[in-house]
Amino acid sequence: MRLDPSILARIQFAFTVSFHIIFPTMSIGLASFLAVIEALWLKTKDPLYLQIYKFWLSIFAMSFGIGVVTGIVLSFEFGLGFAPFANMAGPAIGSLIALEVLTAFFLEAGFLGIMLFGLHRVGPKLHFFATCMVAVGTLISASWILAANSWMQTPAGVEIRDSHLTVVNWRDVIVNPSWPYRLPHMLTAAYLTASFMVAGVGAWYLLRGKHQSFARRTVSLGTAFATVLIAGQVFIGDLVYGTMLKHQPSKMQAAEGFWEKQSQSPAPYYWFIIPDQTNQRNRFEAGIPYLGSIWLTHSLRGRVEGLRNTPRDRQPIMGVVFYAFRIMYGLAILMFTMGVVSLWLRFRGRLFSSRWFLWMLVFMTPSGIIATLAGWYVAETGRQPWVIYGMLRTVDAISPVPAQALLSTLIAFVCVYAVFISAFLIFTLHIIRRGPAAAPPHADASGSLKNAFRPHVLDNPARVVNRRIA
Amino acid sequence: MDLPLLSASFVAFALTLYVILDGFDLGVGILLLFQPAKVSRDHMVDSITPTWDGNETWIIMAGVTLLAAFPIAYSILLPAFYLPVILMLLALGFRGVSFEFRVQTTRHRRRWDVAFAVGSLVAAFMQGVIVGGLVQGVTVANQRFAGGVLNIVRPLPIISGVTLLFGYAVLGAGWLKLKSNPSVQHFASRSLRVAAPVFGVLFGIGCIYAFNIQPGIRSQWASHGTALSCLVVLFAVVAGTLTALTERGRPALPLFLGLCLFVVGISGMVLIVFPYVVPFSLSLWDAASSSTSQQFVLIGAAFVTPVVLAYSAFAYWIFRGRTPEKGWGE
Repeated sequence: MRLDPSILARIQFAFTVSFHIIFPTMSIGLASFLAVIEALWLKTKDPLYLQIYKFWLSIFAMSFGIGVVTGIVLSFEFGLGFAPFANMAGPAIGSLIALEVLTAFFLEAGFLGIMLFGLHRVGPKLHFFATCMVAVGTLISASWILAANSWMQTPAGVEIRDSHLTVVNWRDVIVNPSWPYRLPHMLTAAYLTASFMVAGVGAWYLLRGKHQSFARRTVSLGTAFATVLIAGQVFIGDLVYGTMLKHQPSKMQAAEGFWEKQSQSPAPYYWFIIPDQTNQRNRFEAGIPYLGSIWLTHSLRGRVEGLRNTPRDRQPIMGVVFYAFRIMYGLAILMFTMGVVSLWLRFRGRLFSSRWFLWMLVFMTPSGIIATLAGWYVAETGRQPWVIYGMLRTVDAISPVPAQALLSTLIAFVCVYAVFISAFLIFTLHIIRRGPAAAPPHADASGSLKNAFRPHVLDNPARVVNRRIA
Repeated sequence: MDLPLLSASFVAFALTLYVILDGFDLGVGILLLFQPAKVSRDHMVDSITPTWDGNETWIIMAGVTLLAAFPIAYSILLPAFYLPVILMLLALGFRGVSFEFRVQTTRHRRRWDVAFAVGSLVAAFMQGVIVGGLVQGVTVANQRFAGGVLNIVRPLPIISGVTLLFGYAVLGAGWLKLKSNPSVQHFASRSLRVAAPVFGVLFGIGCIYAFNIQPGIRSQWASHGTALSCLVVLFAVVAGTLTALTERGRPALPLFLGLCLFVVGISGMVLIVFPYVVPFSLSLWDAASSSTSQQFVLIGAAFVTPVVLAYSAFAYWIFRGRTPEKGWGE
């Protein structure tokens, strides 16, 4: 069998970037969650918040660590697998990522040590500042990287001068047409991810009858955040849909599963299709009548545009885009339902006692991660065959590296990342099984900046014991 | 304003900081392999835990600045060093996750310590291989990499890899002398007694070998002969002092001398490579991206780098002094 370097380079990038995004999604969400929890602790002085903080901090630390080391890989992979892409796009996206490193990575890294190990060296207030800096760092980082990726989706602000790409307007590069919508979409996705994780773990403890106060507080917080966020996300998602329909119609045509230039009227909403890309038709299709017209055209009998509107050599593969979109959208509907149900149960005072609902929350623990991954598959596979939409085709962007080298490093990545994810899951489950009680609180909420300048006072165990919260 | 020169200086600055800062982190990791006592291994890792992430970030800074300011060089060098870069990244991955995973388990901590040490060792070796490969030269045709991925499996990159391994071990031992308890300090002194002379000798062998196989170096020697010979003498003197003073002197001295060795080494490398960005075939002006990108990155760097340095220094200062016996968290 002859190996195709372009396929291997793409699989390698898809694999490493998919693996990577799981962890920033968690750490963006958890960093802000931790900042909120520490603020609540400082305000209320309730040690339960410190317990929640310490519990989720250890899971945050692991996800952050994996996010860092798998992220470094990506910053070099543009050149390793896609040298012609790096050569062309470097002046635009390289600059954005350089600013990301300067304004975000260093900020996160500089304050991460204090956040993880500094609580009783610097005192709670400066420690809270460190937590906020890490959380802000994750937001800045997301803003730059979404600017870079959105520029690949909807490039703007550049021109080609003697076969080199030149940026003519930085504002247009950064605030490109899709960035203002895709950034809040991703951030909300990260917050939803954290909310469902927090609520899911709390629900598990409630079902087991363990760590009651911790569990009640986190289920309450998690479902409350999730309810507000999913309501916002449905709205933001609709804006993203509209933007992509305008700037990258082929992606949305593939996502809806229609082939004909104009679908039948009324259009159904497909949930299951077997697409036949070669013959430009579906072998099988099943959906809910009328719903396609209602959702996609906001009328009862409107027609939806199909993929044949896009020339064949510019079409993405329909199956991948369609199902990735269905997974994301299906999970969003589930999340929305969970939000509404949680409001109802909260109102009836049964949020902590409805076992079926708690079980649902447990099953929804990874829902945010899966939905986010699926969303990124829509974005990235739906952009194909382009790597920079309308400017550079993916097949023309592959490095001069032999297929054997690509294959062996792909296998190496799969093996190493399998070790990482297994260890992460084992240790996370271990932390969950051990429970929050194993994270002893050891600093009260009345510290000041002064402690940062006199850490030796706090190093004295006798003083520390006195300051502990029982 | 010569923007490409400024961008190249910023890349060199970021790389220097990376080599120095992650150098002692990786060095501590390498020495972990030779430390039999579990308590001491914990102590060694604790000494670098709060600050390693910021140290590692400088390599990303250098990499993406290269991408933004010298995209042609980036797209030649990464395919050229495909295998060592990927092995380095995987090794850095193992090293990085081991920080988090080793504290989660007592039963299997030893395994994660091995992952930590081997990760540090492989990362250090591969970085040396890349340096050696750069000096050896990269095959370029039509502004694309035109060589094979196995071109780096030659004597010079291998010598350079082993040299850097010992160099980082020197920095790691210096760091431990400064930051750890007496028992680990003693271990650090013993490590220095081996690593410092070996590093010095290997470095010398590498230089002589490189001089013999790379005509580019000979021509650079012709133009910067005085400066380069001063650096060689300086390196020999500092390496000798370091070897002689492993036991005596202040605890900060070995780290200081180790850093001096690296600064001298990097200065020599800059003199040899300049004005190339892909050594001996592509100058930094030929590889530069348009001036708008150079300006964007440089203005950002001018404003943000001082702030970055300030709070990084603050983080080091928060965790100053000897590493507590039970780690920083307790």
